[in-house]
Amino acid sequence: MTISRRVFVKSGGLALFSLGLDPLFLARAAYAADYPAIQRSDHPTLVCLFQRGAVDGLNMIVPHGDGLYYRERPRIAIPAKDVVDLNGYFGLHPSLAALKPLWDNKSLAAVHAIGSPDSTRSHFDAQDYMESGTPGVKATADGWLNRYCQHDREHQNTPFRAVAFGPQLPRVLAGSAPSLAIDDLQAFGLRAPQEAVRDRLTRAFEALYEGSATGLLASSSQEGFEAMQMLKQVNPGQYQPANGADYPRGRLGRSLLQIAQLIKAKLGVQIAFADVSGWDTHVNQGASEGQLAARLKELGDGLAAFARDLGEQMRDVVVLTMSEFGRTIRENGNSGTDHGHATAMLVLGGTVNGGQVLGKWPGLDPDKRFEGRDVAVTTDFRDLFGEILARHLGAGDLAPVFPGYTPDPTKFLGAIRG
Amino acid sequence: MVGIILVGLVVSFQSVGPSLRRSDGSLSPRDSAFHVLNRLAYGPRPGEADSVVRFGVMRWVDQQLDPRRIHNPVLAERERQFRLLDMSRDDLARVYLEAQRARQERLRIDSVARANPEVADKTPEALRAQRMAGEFQELAVVRAALSERQLEEVMVDFWTNHFNIFFGKGADRFLAPSYIERTIRPNALGKFEDLLIATAESPAMLFYLDNAESVAPGSVPPAAARLQARTQFGIPPRRRLFLDPERMMRADSLRQRALQRLPKGLNENYARELMELHTLGVDAGYTQQDVINVARIFTGWSLERPEQGAGFVFNEWAHDYGEKIVLGATFPEGHGRDEGLRLLKLLAREHATMHHVSRQLCARFVADDPPDGCVDDAVAAWHRSGGDIREVLRAIFHGPDFWAPPNVDAKLKTPLEFVVSAVRAIAADPDTSPRLAQVVARLGEPLYQHVAPDGYPEREEDWVNSGALLARMNAAVALASGKLPGVTINLDTIAPASADPDRLVAAIDDKIFAGHLSPHTKQVIRDQLADVRDPEQARILAVGLALGGPEFQKQ
Repeated sequence: MTISRRVFVKSGGLALFSLGLDPLFLARAAYAADYPAIQRSDHPTLVCLFQRGAVDGLNMIVPHGDGLYYRERPRIAIPAKDVVDLNGYFGLHPSLAALKPLWDNKSLAAVHAIGSPDSTRSHFDAQDYMESGTPGVKATADGWLNRYCQHDREHQNTPFRAVAFGPQLPRVLAGSAPSLAIDDLQAFGLRAPQEAVRDRLTRAFEALYEGSATGLLASSSQEGFEAMQMLKQVNPGQYQPANGADYPRGRLGRSLLQIAQLIKAKLGVQIAFADVSGWDTHVNQGASEGQLAARLKELGDGLAAFARDLGEQMRDVVVLTMSEFGRTIRENGNSGTDHGHATAMLVLGGTVNGGQVLGKWPGLDPDKRFEGRDVAVTTDFRDLFGEILARHLGAGDLAPVFPGYTPDPTKFLGAIRG
Repeated sequence: MVGIILVGLVVSFQSVGPSLRRSDGSLSPRDSAFHVLNRLAYGPRPGEADSVVRFGVMRWVDQQLDPRRIHNPVLAERERQFRLLDMSRDDLARVYLEAQRARQERLRIDSVARANPEVADKTPEALRAQRMAGEFQELAVVRAALSERQLEEVMVDFWTNHFNIFFGKGADRFLAPSYIERTIRPNALGKFEDLLIATAESPAMLFYLDNAESVAPGSVPPAAARLQARTQFGIPPRRRLFLDPERMMRADSLRQRALQRLPKGLNENYARELMELHTLGVDAGYTQQDVINVARIFTGWSLERPEQGAGFVFNEWAHDYGEKIVLGATFPEGHGRDEGLRLLKLLAREHATMHHVSRQLCARFVADDPPDGCVDDAVAAWHRSGGDIREVLRAIFHGPDFWAPPNVDAKLKTPLEFVVSAVRAIAADPDTSPRLAQVVARLGEPLYQHVAPDGYPEREEDWVNSGALLARMNAAVALASGKLPGVTINLDTIAPASADPDRLVAAIDDKIFAGHLSPHTKQVIRDQLADVRDPEQARILAVGLALGGPEFQKQ
């Protein structure tokens, strides 16, 4: 079987669908009526950034209008004069200043006091729950983004439908639906000095894996060979960002640049995912400057460059940041913060109801805190994720995506324009 | 040999895979040898499965459990080339501090460097520090490839991930080598309790998980107490007359900042990971209050300043001497460092710890989702032996699950295992340059660089993805063609160069795979060689395809 034919066969998601192999087909038709009619862009794309290590939501989206914030954080609070004010009460960390124009043009929203109903303060459990989409249930084998791909087959099924940037496929994309892990777009594929040698190696390895591999080895290698074939036409080495967009150096900037490149190449990217690490600020996290400020600067500048680079095409894109939990309201003994509960997330893009801090704010009063010390969770992360899947990507049925919890449209925050 | 007989009995009714097993379903001696070389070692060297058969498979296993009895001259010779091993922690600290100073100095005087910080990393001092870092990573790969004490190397890798530290975090750049040499290696096959205590007292761990910064709330170091005690402007009034006020205010604000940076209270980081990852496991039922009390017990466990060698120190001034209760056990007031040791021993002897660590060992050696029986056997051996890792491992290797056919050839190699096993398969000889470590990094496992405290994962789905597989194929071809500088290969140990596909494929199947290569793989390689006339090219292509193919990804 040749590569091109296989791509054709695999991209026949619609064919599978119309053959009725998807048992959810009928269920979806029934559910569709429950969701408000929305105007969907032609090729909606969701970009997820996972801030691993638990970002300090209070220093990212700063409640500078609350005196308690300053009393609890004498060494690490962001001075009011430095905060980029958003609505008189909340403001951006000064390192995120590059995002202010996106707030002003209503394509950026923040969600505060969001998190998991599970109370764990373990990074690994909390990340696991946020990626499996099943807080408190460890046995869930696949990730919620993968389950979305499994159950929403109307999208053109190219190998690039779901792409993670990094050497490993994240838990959120693990599962039976094909997804691609790309560490570096330019280096993706088999290396050989001459094209003839490259083609020969490709054919040989493809034949080896096609016949001798089973399970994950078989499916992953097949996806890899298909993606290689499609990437041949894109020529990743030649990419120039548009509109003078200047991505920050480092891993995040490179990932965002390559995501923009894939979106523009029209390879059918629907979901892109990248990790941003370095948020576990137990010691000397800094205030307006310092450790956390440097990480936020990279994040803010990266997102701003991404939006600038995509320009008009941002109308089809939503970027969502997420993190496993927030950090303690009170600073710890080392001018840092320990593991907390709720955090803040950013939603950016053309279909976003921007210019607002969404979610019910519980405040910092000691009696409103979770276990007496952390920001309480008022928005279950699945309500935000579900809203974006339904209203931005057009997911028909969220029940299989979040088993045991069906996000209720009446609880949607309104992050995406209806 | 009891093990082998047992194996025959236990596995004879299990399902049989193609070409792999004898018709009665048990493993042949050669299959058994191949299996132990894949799991207790980083794969066989050419023809090694046969030599282990001649030596006796279970005899070989028992020998590996007692590494001090294994003669290791090749590695000893190679280790002599690693200058890193001649350096003390002080020496390394100096290299690191000099590199840091040179960088700051370059940034201060050189405007080019300020605009482009990479220039500042090119000072001779910085390059020396980078060379040491490269040697440190390569040493792990070289030892895994060349040591005769293979199980010891496997266990060093296991514990390095279990008690993970991050090389990129500040002082761990110079603390990590002594962490491996003095904390992990000497205890890799010893008592778990000793290993746990060694990691708790190791400067690398104290720094990595921030315990060095954790102090009893309100405690003040003696030096800072003196600073605070000074009157306005920080100097005796008599001398103040002779100094200009601006300078005095500047000094005062520096002092203020120094005081601000001082630790002011608890840091829960180590306490939490100690229970969650190192010992009990996340579901063992401990509470947030337990975490806080464990953190209180370890207040004062810290390290000296880098200039003084950064060794372990117990700061009495920083310790919380109050009463604490952890997991229901009372730690009465008035105790110092001793209560930390008592707690570590208590944790090491908890059933949850035995179960958690045993399960991880079974996941490493038997199956990603190990059968309960395997874990139970390991826990029983732990009870019996008082936490002797060697006995826990012996129980696993002698147990039926280790030999059950569904668990043979069933685990995916991590990038380190893949690279080292490929190096061994073709009898390659690496020098001290960090080439192989770079390949391991490119495949997704940069050594000592896992940021989070859980270490690199062990499960198949964590390592298999399309990009990673293509990268493995590239690495296999590069290695087989001798294109990795610093790695001398010797394909003659497998077969002489030949344009005869049948001969090449038969030799590869025999020497690298101990006869486990599938008919399909053999056929594909033969087909690919059909039109290759050059004997050397044919051999390279055959070996490259075999090492990059699906069977070699498994162990």
